[in-house]
Amino acid sequence: MANQKIGAVLVIGGGVAGIQASLDLADSGFKVYLADQAPSIGGVMAQLDKTFPTNDCSMCILSPKLVAAGRHPNITVLTNVEVAGLNGEAGSFEVKLRKLSRYIIEEKCNGCGICAQKCPIEAIDTFNEGLSNRSAIYVEYPQAVPLKYKIDREKCIGCGTCYEVCKAKAITYDQKDSEATLKVGSIILAPGFEVFDAKLKSEYGYGRYPNVVTSIEFERILSASGPYGGLVLRPSDGEIPKKIAFIQCVGSRDYQLGNNYCSAACCMYGMKEAVIAKEHTPPPLNAKIFFMDMRSYGKEFDAYYKRAQGEWGIQFVRSRVAGITEDPKTQNLFVHYVENETPKTEEFEMVVLSVGMQPPKNAEKLAESLGIKLNAYKFCETQAFSPTETSKPGVFVCGAFSGPKDIPESVAQASAAAAKAMEVIASERGTEVAVKEYPPERDVSLEEPRIGVFVCHCGINIGGVVNVPEVVEYARKLPNVVFAEANVYTCSEDTQKLIKEKIMENKLNRVIVASCTPRTHEPLFKETVQEAGLNPYLFEMTNIRDQCSWVHMHDAKEATEKAKDLVRSIVAKAKLLAPLKKPLINVTPVALVIGGGVSGITASLSLADQGFEVHLVEKEPELGGQLRNINYLLEKDSDPKEKLSSLVEAVTKNDKIRVYKNAEVVDVYGFVGNFKSKIKQKNGEEKEVEHGVVIVATGASEYKPSEYLYGKDPRVVTQHELEEKLASGTFEAKTVVMIQCVGARNDERPNCARICCGQAIKNALKIKETRSETEIYVLYKDMRAYGFKEDYYREAAIKGVIFVNYDDERKPQVKAENGKLLASFWEPVLNEQVEIEPDLVVLSAATVPNPDNKKLADMLKVPLTKDGFFLEAHMKLRPVDFATEGVFLCGMAHSPKYIDESIAQACATAARATTILSKKTLEMEGIVANVSEDLCSGCRICEYLCPYGAVEMKDKEGKTVAHVLEALCKGCGACGTACPTKAIIMGHFTTEEILAQVKAALVEVKI
Amino acid sequence: MSEKNGFEPKIIGFLCNWCSYAGADLAGVSRIQYPPNIRIIRVMCSGRIDPAFVLEAFKDGADGVLVAGCHLPSDCHYISGNFKALRRITLLKKALAEFGIEPERLRLEWISASEGDKFATVVRDMTEQIKKLGPNPFKEMEVKSQ
Amino acid sequence: MEKNEPKIACLMCDFVFCQEETHAPRNVKVARVSCIGRIDPVLILEMFEKGIEAVMLVGCKPPDCHYVDGNAQAELTVNILKKLMSLVNVEPERLKLLWHSPTAKKSFNRHLTEFSDKTRKLASLSPKNISADPDFLVNISAAKRVAADFRLRVLLGREKELTESVNVYGEKISFQEFDKLLGEIVQVEFIRQKIHVLTSVKPLSVKALAEKVELKPAVVLNHIVNMRRKNMIAIDHVDGTTPFYKALEVN
Repeated sequence: MANQKIGAVLVIGGGVAGIQASLDLADSGFKVYLADQAPSIGGVMAQLDKTFPTNDCSMCILSPKLVAAGRHPNITVLTNVEVAGLNGEAGSFEVKLRKLSRYIIEEKCNGCGICAQKCPIEAIDTFNEGLSNRSAIYVEYPQAVPLKYKIDREKCIGCGTCYEVCKAKAITYDQKDSEATLKVGSIILAPGFEVFDAKLKSEYGYGRYPNVVTSIEFERILSASGPYGGLVLRPSDGEIPKKIAFIQCVGSRDYQLGNNYCSAACCMYGMKEAVIAKEHTPPPLNAKIFFMDMRSYGKEFDAYYKRAQGEWGIQFVRSRVAGITEDPKTQNLFVHYVENETPKTEEFEMVVLSVGMQPPKNAEKLAESLGIKLNAYKFCETQAFSPTETSKPGVFVCGAFSGPKDIPESVAQASAAAAKAMEVIASERGTEVAVKEYPPERDVSLEEPRIGVFVCHCGINIGGVVNVPEVVEYARKLPNVVFAEANVYTCSEDTQKLIKEKIMENKLNRVIVASCTPRTHEPLFKETVQEAGLNPYLFEMTNIRDQCSWVHMHDAKEATEKAKDLVRSIVAKAKLLAPLKKPLINVTPVALVIGGGVSGITASLSLADQGFEVHLVEKEPELGGQLRNINYLLEKDSDPKEKLSSLVEAVTKNDKIRVYKNAEVVDVYGFVGNFKSKIKQKNGEEKEVEHGVVIVATGASEYKPSEYLYGKDPRVVTQHELEEKLASGTFEAKTVVMIQCVGARNDERPNCARICCGQAIKNALKIKETRSETEIYVLYKDMRAYGFKEDYYREAAIKGVIFVNYDDERKPQVKAENGKLLASFWEPVLNEQVEIEPDLVVLSAATVPNPDNKKLADMLKVPLTKDGFFLEAHMKLRPVDFATEGVFLCGMAHSPKYIDESIAQACATAARATTILSKKTLEMEGIVANVSEDLCSGCRICEYLCPYGAVEMKDKEGKTVAHVLEALCKGCGACGTACPTKAIIMGHFTTEEILAQVKAALVEVKI
Repeated sequence: MSEKNGFEPKIIGFLCNWCSYAGADLAGVSRIQYPPNIRIIRVMCSGRIDPAFVLEAFKDGADGVLVAGCHLPSDCHYISGNFKALRRITLLKKALAEFGIEPERLRLEWISASEGDKFATVVRDMTEQIKKLGPNPFKEMEVKSQ
Repeated sequence: MEKNEPKIACLMCDFVFCQEETHAPRNVKVARVSCIGRIDPVLILEMFEKGIEAVMLVGCKPPDCHYVDGNAQAELTVNILKKLMSLVNVEPERLKLLWHSPTAKKSFNRHLTEFSDKTRKLASLSPKNISADPDFLVNISAAKRVAADFRLRVLLGREKELTESVNVYGEKISFQEFDKLLGEIVQVEFIRQKIHVLTSVKPLSVKALAEKVELKPAVVLNHIVNMRRKNMIAIDHVDGTTPFYKALEVN
């Protein structure tokens, strides 16, 4: 008998990918150990200023995830941890971990930071990329999770000051590295990447010229919380530059350096940095980007490129920069490059090097200790049809470790890896997680408000400025306050016990903590009051640290007065607090998957393998979608025809999956956990199915061009048609001209179709394989062979494929004259118009969205992009979710993509769906809107305003009234504010509560 | 108008939970000093802020009101609450003059979780500006009517 | 007192004072303190600021301190003070630490006279000269703040323990190593305090500061970054492409 499987997963790497994988697993009934080498999680994303293409603030969107991971009952965050060895097999591993010493007792450290303030030694701040210093005892950044300090042993001189100032007694100098063994069923690798060391590219002068910085340094420079406070300054003299050059592909696409691959994200982040730099620079900034190919291939990326050129006025120069020299006097930089075959030099005040991604430093060690294979570049090896599987069963990979990629793709892969990890141990779901039991809730509805106030000293963080005893005395005298006291650390374990005792002793029915920020600490205290039998919504918090002691350090009197005002204000609110119920909704553990291409099939199989029933609906008579048109892959690592048949067979054989071919979904009703849909089959028969989630995988198809004589001359074909010819052996041509971007990157379809560059290279190589004498011209705007595809681009060039760049001003032309097919194009190297006579013109046609998307979008109440693809909830961090809970998105329905990317997204939807399907009931947030039906006039303003479709109109005794679907409401309160008859009550933020809080903040009460 | 010299304005700040409140937290963590005149009211979303809250605050004697939310267009945790705030507060600013309140007393700002400095600057500027304007005219009217 | 006589202060530990009959020259003012190991370095710097030309500290010869380690502490204080004095262009030889021994009465008075003679040979630090050198006031007030800085005081307070015994990890730090570290910290703090003093008068740019502190602008910028982190300085305004910084009040 095989070893007993274990329902726990080890996630190695706590960047955004590792965090996402952990959250999906933990929300699906598995125990997660999230291990990182660093002292806190967050990875590189925490260092970024803004994110493309939405220019969202990186920390704003990341920090809720950090907090969620840090507080999740099923996630144990292990920091400063290295993997030392692995035993066992998929389902039952034993992992040996080495925990490096922090010299801090993590359980005791409250993160108050007094140690860092008093530490006499400064060290280089690596989080700010060396642009500033930090203390020898430190946290990486203010929002770090876990917020536990660490001693930099290299720098610490051992003076013992931190020990003396630490009120929590958390410092321990004799802590030794320790080893531990974890038992887990599967493992996910998400160790991320290193940035390329720009010093290796010595011709660019990084490290010698102070005004040459790397892109990651520039992210810190742009950040409002970075070294320069968000103002762009030259490191040499602190002046604001008026002219900045951005140099792309530094350490990428560089065969000589051994990094031939493309780092996939730099074109976009380079543009973003240029755009944000303009925003952050008061005088007009001249920003110029030197690039080889602009690889803005992602969803809506070309629209961003266009705005960068137009609206934001960034200049672009297609050239590889040869070198940089410095004017020693001004420390300005001369960028030497070649444009249109002419050597040029231009002076800049600052240069940013867009450095590429490298595998993590410890990649080889990690691979060795886990027994997994790496590819030639030392990234983790994966295959097109299994993008998240390593060479070792049970060990999965996501994020940049399997190849350079941007955040949304890392996040999608992370969820995908989570799904794969769950499949291995699906039978053990729920076995390793603790379900927390709370005592029965005390009914306080008939009691007078009895408020208890706990005021935190936070060591000396609050008490050192605010007169805490005075605040406590003041609180005691406020109306309805029956108990108040001060604590050294209100968040410590023993204070939790004390709070519970005081609730019992004093029959408290409202609890207030005056300490730090509710954003990090409210969940802890809510849990505490719940453990004492109080409804968690009878808790409130006010922040007298971040809003008083820390920001009015030199004015103890005012800080204390303000603290009193804040306490008085929150007491006034607390008096009105009402218990709220977290609505419970039942879940039908069934999925509806719309679309039976490779995405739909993959998602269905992943869910079925975990034991969930699936209805898979396909419009066509056959399953397979676009995969049926694919005969071979660029990567050559698998046979797509064979894969297709085995996938179709697996679906057909799986008794959990019900396949509907020639069928369409015609109606969807309900909400997360409780959908009802109608499937209309070929014979006109309609079937109603109940399901808990919807996965949209409706795919996309190749554009049928109207350009370049397509459809008029049989010698003009698309890439798909060429592939068919090559596969069937009917290809014959001496000269082939391929034209890229047909029907894409134009006014009608402004975005890139992503897969056509790869298709062109794939087909060109296939031709060269069998008929090496064939002349092939590829006319392109930008060759977007991102990631490892760059290798094939290079291979094609070496094998003699001629790549010729064109732009919109000089598009290629194709005509038929006297039976001859003629193609003419501008040859920028020769600087002249060339005309050739090809036997075949191949159009790399755009990918167009499924025409049915609009209908489906209306049915599901989800949005589409301008291009007609589905639009996800958040482009960066929720790539496969819709804003509507319980509805997910994958594959080409999202945007054009390669098979491995579709498969990753498909698995990702399975993981996201599992977070719902694995639960019998869903507990929703209690802070939701409620409609007072008597007051409702049925005006529908709220229905229109709600971004989540959570308001529906219903009939009540002949009157139309609004009704809030609690399952969908996120509690933003926008509807309540808009309601003209004030019929909507926002839980925990009622108008009365807010107004009482405002009034009490302004008006002294007589005591 | 010499009484204005010793005048310390009271400002109510309605801050959304996800960006602006986090920005105020960062000002705290970074120990950025600003005048102690603001009292922060946390709401989940700037889209929750009812113009009536602002008016009530003025009625209760606030000398200034700050409404702060996530940056436009897409930082909002609730997709579009910031746009709702933008419309409501812009309209309200226009209406304020009719109530006899200088529109400068009401400010709408977009402050992200990494803009601790910006939060502090806004509070500093606002405090200065309102000091120049003097106390909320409502308060004076009330005093007179008593 | 003669016109050109340099004003000299002599601080003497109580125990020495009781045993001595000093015959100090008229330009030397003798004051008693409980223990020279407890002398605040800021006080010494203030003396120079006020026109005292030289300072002599007299304490019990090790290991005879009444307060056990006062004399050792005095050595450390003098060490730091000399580092600071050279930074503010006050010759370190203007500060002298003398161990008193009751058996050598004569030599003590001779020491005083010698010290006074040596000081006379140095250029005067008199108020007249100070006003001719506006940098001096800035320098000395920066030095005073360094001497008052917590960070430095922590190190000073632990120097003996760390160099003579072991640190919290049980490692020994050599005196040379520690002294080097101390030197670096004193220098860094001095520059930052000087920037702080300068920018509290009026907002200044990195370039202007670089000229005043005679360092590369890049180094000054780095100091400003770290001063911002400690809320010692903030951007006041931007003029064209040049940000100007102003000092923030620190407690």
